[in-house]
Amino acid sequence: MTKILFSDKLDKCVERWKSAGLTVIGPVQRTNISTYAAVDHAAELEFGLVLPDRSIKDLFFPQSEPMLRYTIKKESINTEECLPPAGPRIIFGARPCDASGMAIDDPLFGWDYKDEYWFQRRNESVIVTIACTKADDFCMCTSLEMSPDSTKGSDILLRPLAGNKGWQVDELTDRGREAFRTIADFLHESSEPLAPSAVVENKFDLDACVTWLKNPENFESRFWKEISMRCIGCASCTYLCPTCHCFDIQDEGDTYTGIRRKNWDSCSFALFTMHTSGHNPRSTQSARWRQRIMHKFNYFPGKFSVNSCSGCGRCSRQCPVDMGITETLQEISKLSL
Amino acid sequence: MSIEEQYRTRAKELLSGGAVKMVIGYGKGTTPSRRRPLFITSPDDVERLMLDDACITNLSGYLVSEGLLSDEKRVAVFLRPEGIRAVNILAAESQLDAEQIVIFGFDVSGNEVQALKGIHVEEFSDVIRSIKEGAPEADEEELFEKIEKMSPQERFSFWQEEFAKCIKCYACRQACPMCYCRRCIVDSNQPQWINTSSHSLGNFEWNIVRAFHLSGRCVECGNCDRACPVNIPLRLINHRMAEEVLGAFDHFAGMSKTQEPVLASFKKDDSETFIL
Ligand code: SF4
Ligand code: SF4
Ligand code: SF4
Ligand code: SF4
Repeated sequence: MTKILFSDKLDKCVERWKSAGLTVIGPVQRTNISTYAAVDHAAELEFGLVLPDRSIKDLFFPQSEPMLRYTIKKESINTEECLPPAGPRIIFGARPCDASGMAIDDPLFGWDYKDEYWFQRRNESVIVTIACTKADDFCMCTSLEMSPDSTKGSDILLRPLAGNKGWQVDELTDRGREAFRTIADFLHESSEPLAPSAVVENKFDLDACVTWLKNPENFESRFWKEISMRCIGCASCTYLCPTCHCFDIQDEGDTYTGIRRKNWDSCSFALFTMHTSGHNPRSTQSARWRQRIMHKFNYFPGKFSVNSCSGCGRCSRQCPVDMGITETLQEISKLSL
Repeated sequence: MSIEEQYRTRAKELLSGGAVKMVIGYGKGTTPSRRRPLFITSPDDVERLMLDDACITNLSGYLVSEGLLSDEKRVAVFLRPEGIRAVNILAAESQLDAEQIVIFGFDVSGNEVQALKGIHVEEFSDVIRSIKEGAPEADEEELFEKIEKMSPQERFSFWQEEFAKCIKCYACRQACPMCYCRRCIVDSNQPQWINTSSHSLGNFEWNIVRAFHLSGRCVECGNCDRACPVNIPLRLINHRMAEEVLGAFDHFAGMSKTQEPVLASFKKDDSETFIL
């Protein structure tokens, strides 16, 4: 016997969570784009997607975030700190690769300086993940030691029942248990057949790739130039990626009054490392692509013992020139044979 | 012999004879329906070149990759008519020497690939003229008609909603052969002309500035529209601007390698007293 949430009870749950003061967020299909957004009713949620086009990162680390407002007068400088809008929320229907992406970034946002913007949102969010029953050509969680039902980063894992009837509820954290206590009367104790899990084939040998990347001789390998020749240096891959976390700080306004903002930035851009002198230490696209791969599978794990990739496949799915992490790691796997 | 095979043979000849140093074409992609840009430098690799109706990307932007043409050697490239027009513009704007470009021209109707006769850009002027004279395809798109019929307020809200999705990834710019500026206006910060932030104002500024910079230069290849990861229908803007320029100046971008850039040239007898 396990806890079951039947689909037809979901609208009641949404209502209950809302009256308990939670913002309910989930996957939605908008004009030409799917994303995670706040909803009022369960009917607005779209559970049929392999995964939304936009990642869950947007909810924790938005593309542009005000940090402080400033006014400079003759004798004074006034600053007013801006913090993220407070309020508890429940994200219902995250994908395992999105939820784990947030857990991957936790140590990064907390190691030397605790990023309040990130952690306030993290602490106020309950992530209810739905295990995947379908995958596409670009999904690659299994190549990264994860799976269509990974629990990493989730507070609740829901396993879909056969016939879209609902979900089996696996409570993973206290925060998850608490959120589900408020809807306890909508849950059932029974045992229902589960829908088969998605099958995601293993695409590359991660260990072999990591060994190759760690070998300093390969830093200057011709491989980097060859693999990245068609890369046009946009930020589609980094901005859609749940784990890419680079940002820039910009002041908007004039000398006397304005707003300081934290904006996404990307290692794919030439401007990212451009010095004021005009010198650019990563002057070619191949050096920039190498940085992205090295950062994710060498430097980041070197510091935080986890790869900076959850295998969502968005980078390859959306790349305008059909590149992506998958192809690069597949080619590296071949090189290391 | 299929066009794919003919072009492979031609690529092999050009590479082995040293007539070109590289062939930029299409190869197999991640999924059966995808093709990806491919750079062939050895005659032994020409078998990897593919040509079918899935070869959509306009490859002309790669021609202005830093340093590619600076050794004055020739480069061959697979191009649809839009790509050929783009080469004309790049030549007219002094970004490349058209003599260095060897064209493998093709067009697709239905799912049939046709070869376009010619090697040098000036040999395709008939093809380009017939496109200019033919009915613009994008007009057939329902969405375009719908927007044309909207009131200015409705149109503004339509674009407001679309631009709200923009994440300033600049994939549109990077994918565009006409966006070759070494330092784009959004990357200039002394002074900061355009907000870097991806908020409503910043997104509007970006998309409007790009529409202006591409007016009279865009060849409607669709690269930007396809590259946009949040699916903003950029083609609609491009098409509207192209129609505007055609109507006002009888200017069809990329007619020839000596065509004067419409918004960067003026005539003393211009009837307007003001130049934007
Ligand atoms: S890999 Fe693709 S998405 Fe990423 S920067 Fe290069 S072209 Fe853009
Ligand atoms: S690197 Fe690619 S596959 Fe990995 S998490 Fe980022 S977008 Fe997803
Ligand atoms: S603006 Fe878009 S459609 Fe026009 S030339 Fe550039 S990439 Fe092609
Ligand atoms: S490609 Fe789309 S999302 Fe990216 S900057 Fe251009 S319009 Fe914005």
